[in-house]
Amino acid sequence: MSASWSVWLVGGVLLAAAGVGSTLVPRLRARGVRRRVAWSTARAAIDSAAVSRDACATRVAEAERLLARAESIAADRGGVLAAEEAARCAERADRLWRAARRG
Amino acid sequence: MRWSLLGTAVVLLVVFLMSQRQQIEVSYGQSPSSPDAVVEGEAGELSEATVPSVEAMTAMIDAEPVVRLPGSIARWNERVVREAIGDSDIRILVAPPGLDEAERGRVREVERATITIVGTKVSGGVYEATADAIPEWRAQFASGDVTTLLVPMIRHLQERESPAVDASFRWREPTAAELDTVTAELRANGSHVAEGATLEGVPEASEKAFPDAEALYVALPRQPFGQPVPRYGPALARTFPDRPIVVVYGSWIEYDGPGAADFAELVSAMFYAQFGTRLATYDYPQGNVLNAWLNRVTDVRYAGLFDRPLPYLPFDPVKVTMPALPWLFAACVAGFLALSARSLRRPQAARDSRHYSRLAGLTALAIEVSGLSGERSDPPLTRGIGKLRAATEALESGLPPAQVRTLLDDAENELDDTARLLGRRDYRPRNYLEGRLG
Repeated sequence: MSASWSVWLVGGVLLAAAGVGSTLVPRLRARGVRRRVAWSTARAAIDSAAVSRDACATRVAEAERLLARAESIAADRGGVLAAEEAARCAERADRLWRAARRG
Repeated sequence: MRWSLLGTAVVLLVVFLMSQRQQIEVSYGQSPSSPDAVVEGEAGELSEATVPSVEAMTAMIDAEPVVRLPGSIARWNERVVREAIGDSDIRILVAPPGLDEAERGRVREVERATITIVGTKVSGGVYEATADAIPEWRAQFASGDVTTLLVPMIRHLQERESPAVDASFRWREPTAAELDTVTAELRANGSHVAEGATLEGVPEASEKAFPDAEALYVALPRQPFGQPVPRYGPALARTFPDRPIVVVYGSWIEYDGPGAADFAELVSAMFYAQFGTRLATYDYPQGNVLNAWLNRVTDVRYAGLFDRPLPYLPFDPVKVTMPALPWLFAACVAGFLALSARSLRRPQAARDSRHYSRLAGLTALAIEVSGLSGERSDPPLTRGIGKLRAATEALESGLPPAQVRTLLDDAENELDDTARLLGRRDYRPRNYLEGRLG
């Protein structure tokens, strides 16, 4: 009986592990993808803002503060929320510089 | 498929757990001996005998040190007992066996009697003497000899050490005439009931106790005290080889025949240790004693104590299936794991060739425009190139197509701005890409 008991036990543990794994792994994977997407967007926005800043003749203090904030968030590497915040700051800075350039 | 495997595994687990409370009883088959019901008087153990009133008995015991009431059966070696008593005032009241509760109570109430014997049960005050060896039981139940019980009891009441006492039971060979009578009757109907014995034919339990060969029964009354007792067993075993032979002397049962060495003493010890006191107190018919003894033989036979082959057990599919259950369960788990792992494998990122061609087209446009671009159109162009680089990275690191498309859309908008600022409609991405593809 002891051998078959271990079969039941190990089998039960494996089933539980498979259940946990099959819900957890896709979820983790999706989270990773969401994070990478958010950072991709954020980095592209920061790059655009940097270009706009270089193209602008006048200094816009508000925009520079926003971009500095976005860059510091990006330097800290965070989750989806941090990336979204960085992207939002960079876009606003970008808009401010473009507006300043158009004059 | 995966879920059906999981379901099967769960069902197997439930079946296994349910079957865990099958039975706690462990037995080599069920012994078919009937349970012994014990209700006073039901087994014919009460006799016709009765006792006088307490006052009458007290008067009798005052007059004589030993009083034998009519019907009493206990005998003892007078010389040995007299020596044991010596000068002390020990008075013995002997009552017949098979008294009912009230009559036994009357006997107990005779306070002048130091020792009372009911049947062959010896008690003194709160003490009771019991035999614990086969020779003692044999003497007590075959001839009513209570010397071995009486002497220790007397010694105990005198607070003295008891000497070893031998039962005065002796065997003798049966005479040819005795043996012929018994043999003839056994040949005729399988049992011999002597004058005064209370056995009525072969007991019912005989077939279960001795299934291999028909047993022969000889019933003799209680043997007279002090005379050698004819030992029929071995002589009959020579005449009837391979037949179980049961000889009953009073309440004592002797067995000879096949397997005697294996179980006869064991069964006797079990039987008389358990029922000795009742057999001594009451007056059971021999048929009932024999039935109880045969049931005990059956119990021993079914207990599997002597390397007997097990009795036939019917085929039970559950018992055959149970050992396979864990492995079926393991197979289901393995299948479920394999299928789960396959479904978890990284889904191949759908490489959308449209994004590649769009990326290539927009990159070519950016390079072409960069030569013409001036101070006003440089920022959107640079931003567009940045977006294109981000889109390339996204494509290469396998990000979802939606993200690639968003970045490409952004790049396209920037390049559109560039073309607009340059005033070149043909460099607007929509027109440029159409022209290129066309």
